[in-house]
Amino acid sequence: MTTMGIIFANIYDSSLGDLTNKRTMASLPYGGRYRQVDFSLSNMTNSGIRHIGIITKNNYQSLMNHIGSGQEWNLELMEGGLEYLTPFSTGNNAQYRGKLEALHTAMSFLEFSKEEYVVLVDSGVLCAMDFRPVVQAHARSGADVTVVVKKDVCNGEKQLDLAVLEDENGRIVDVVCDHCPDENYIAGMGIFVMRRDYLMQQVADAVAHCKYRLEREFLVPKFHSKKLTMNAFHFDGVALYNESTKEFFDNSMALLKPEVRKGLFGNPDLTIYTKVRDEVPSYYGEDAEINDCIVADGCKLEGEAERCILFRGVQLGKDAEVKDSIIMQDTIIGEGAELKYVILDKDVTVPAGAKFKGTKNHPYVVKRGTKL
Amino acid sequence: MNFQKKHCVAMLLAGGQGSRLMVLTENTAKPAVPFGGKYRIIDFPLSNCVNSGIDTVGILTQYQPLELNEYIGNGQPWHLNRSHGGVQVLPPYAKSSKSEWYKGTANAIYQNIPFIERYDPDNVLILSGDHIYKMDYAAMLQEHMKNDADCTIAVRTVPIEEASRFGIMNTNPDGSIYEFEEKPKVPKSTNASMGIYIFKWSILKKYLIADEEDPNSENDFGKNVIPAILNAGHRLFAYEFQGYWKDVGTINSLWEANMELLGEEPEFNIYGDPGKRIYARNYAMPSTFMSKKAETDNCFIAEGCEIYGTIKHSIISTGCTVAEGALVEDSVIMPNVVIESGAIVRHAIVGEDCRISANAVVGGAFPEGEAKQIAVIGKNKTIEVNQCVKPGEIC
Repeated sequence: MTTMGIIFANIYDSSLGDLTNKRTMASLPYGGRYRQVDFSLSNMTNSGIRHIGIITKNNYQSLMNHIGSGQEWNLELMEGGLEYLTPFSTGNNAQYRGKLEALHTAMSFLEFSKEEYVVLVDSGVLCAMDFRPVVQAHARSGADVTVVVKKDVCNGEKQLDLAVLEDENGRIVDVVCDHCPDENYIAGMGIFVMRRDYLMQQVADAVAHCKYRLEREFLVPKFHSKKLTMNAFHFDGVALYNESTKEFFDNSMALLKPEVRKGLFGNPDLTIYTKVRDEVPSYYGEDAEINDCIVADGCKLEGEAERCILFRGVQLGKDAEVKDSIIMQDTIIGEGAELKYVILDKDVTVPAGAKFKGTKNHPYVVKRGTKL
Repeated sequence: MNFQKKHCVAMLLAGGQGSRLMVLTENTAKPAVPFGGKYRIIDFPLSNCVNSGIDTVGILTQYQPLELNEYIGNGQPWHLNRSHGGVQVLPPYAKSSKSEWYKGTANAIYQNIPFIERYDPDNVLILSGDHIYKMDYAAMLQEHMKNDADCTIAVRTVPIEEASRFGIMNTNPDGSIYEFEEKPKVPKSTNASMGIYIFKWSILKKYLIADEEDPNSENDFGKNVIPAILNAGHRLFAYEFQGYWKDVGTINSLWEANMELLGEEPEFNIYGDPGKRIYARNYAMPSTFMSKKAETDNCFIAEGCEIYGTIKHSIISTGCTVAEGALVEDSVIMPNVVIESGAIVRHAIVGEDCRISANAVVGGAFPEGEAKQIAVIGKNKTIEVNQCVKPGEIC
């Protein structure tokens, strides 16, 4: 049973505002040293998937800069390995409008592949998952499509691209998309498995009928018209949906809980890889007070931080006090600054004595490179 | 096969046993001993090479090479995975006529003359695998070329009272060496050799062959080859190096060098801009978690740690756990060590993969200025609950 992978790098780009203004959703920094795509890519290589295409649309420079040749994930740009599927403008699709159309531009990549199955993954849900059991379950089920689903996510408020309702025998009886279903529904995780030949055939057919969106124009209508069989694979590990600024903030803070750290990073067979930056270990000065924080490498910490995520190379000046905040790579916080509920993107400079405060539900986001 | 010519090839001597590091080198070659939280000693000369534009490095291994070989791999962490040159591990090998171990530093290079010849270099840089420093070898090479030297030896100034512990280079005002004294009783100068040499390859090759033919030679650079080249009237120059340099061949110097990374203005500033950094193999660890109870004061903590206890003036390496109520002070904790609750570790070096069980005590405190006896725990040891390892004890 051979499997290849496709990662959609930007699906929710607009929903995180300034944080995804200049980068794809996939390259959004997370957890001190990761980008969201690290999870999808690592899951694939940890599942023995050696042939991966990354579909990008806009602003993919930082993504390519991060992944490079894929060597940190034990991939390489040579045969097999990693391929960037950047927009390929032809007369009839200057910019793709949905996953189906994106897959259509990647048709030759699919065509020249040899693998039997394809795992399709979005970049918005963080998890450490072995895809092998998913593909095996898919093959056993005989269904056209397998969706990976997670319980206890639907709550009537959270909007999901896809959610399913199962009967008591675990058979899918309803599928909805772009909707906020109630807690009886089970949330899709943006992970699908299909046979490669089936996928190619369906993509060609759908695009020929001017249908571009995978969930809305293919999975849901075909399921309801009984032209497609769907199987749900239940994932019972930690799954974090980073689809809004609030979710991103809460999911970052969730790393302060041991069970979340264990769920994402605790299994050595599912190691999450990322780009190496050759930073020195973090230095904690005489007056540093770092409590309940996630700290990456290369930081120089002289001040106070509480319930914070401190990315690589953060400098925290003396007497600075930072609480409930996410401080991204190489940001410098001057002496005596006071911050609470803020998300400082990369390379931000906070002058000495500055005070900024957001709220729990609306963290104050500072754009990359801003000198406050 | 024709190879592209290299201006300078580096040969890194990494075969020594490092017996003065005791249990730390029981199953590990000295250059593979962890340092500074996420490095190994060999990262320093290797990173210096690539940062100095030297892309061909032969690493001479002999003692316990498994871990070192795996660590070096294809040289990718140091950007030394080149299609021509790059890093190559050179163990002693069987030959049709005469097969033997590396008998000394000069013999190790002698046995690898065929390796060096493949690159047809003008110069060969000889390095040790047990020094912690950052150095631009390109600047030294430039001096070597400018002086049209046959051999250039890096030196640093040591206090006169310590000079009799080193190889001392006595120089003329122009930097040329007129005399070399190995550990002189009455030193004439304070230029101590750092064990870093650049030779014109044509000269070195000739003297390596001559040295090999001399049955009385110890086949050592300092004792035999350099004196022979000097006595034959060749051009030897000293190159003065100003920065931090430390031979970490003893427990105390290894501990000191680690401690010298600490402080607001550390004695050894390991930080560097991209292109001047020290590189290390990376093990994909998540960020470190510092709990509410964690207390830190003047310490280095690497990735992948979970800290619940108190860390003072110490180095905590990748993947360590320090439980609540544990105290680590004035110590070097190597990778993947677990320190359980209530354990106390002071003035100690704890080897990789150790477990210090609950309420155990390792080492002790020493008043300022008093000679410190460092307790050392070898790799993969477990110190039992309530066990006590005395100051200076090695286990």
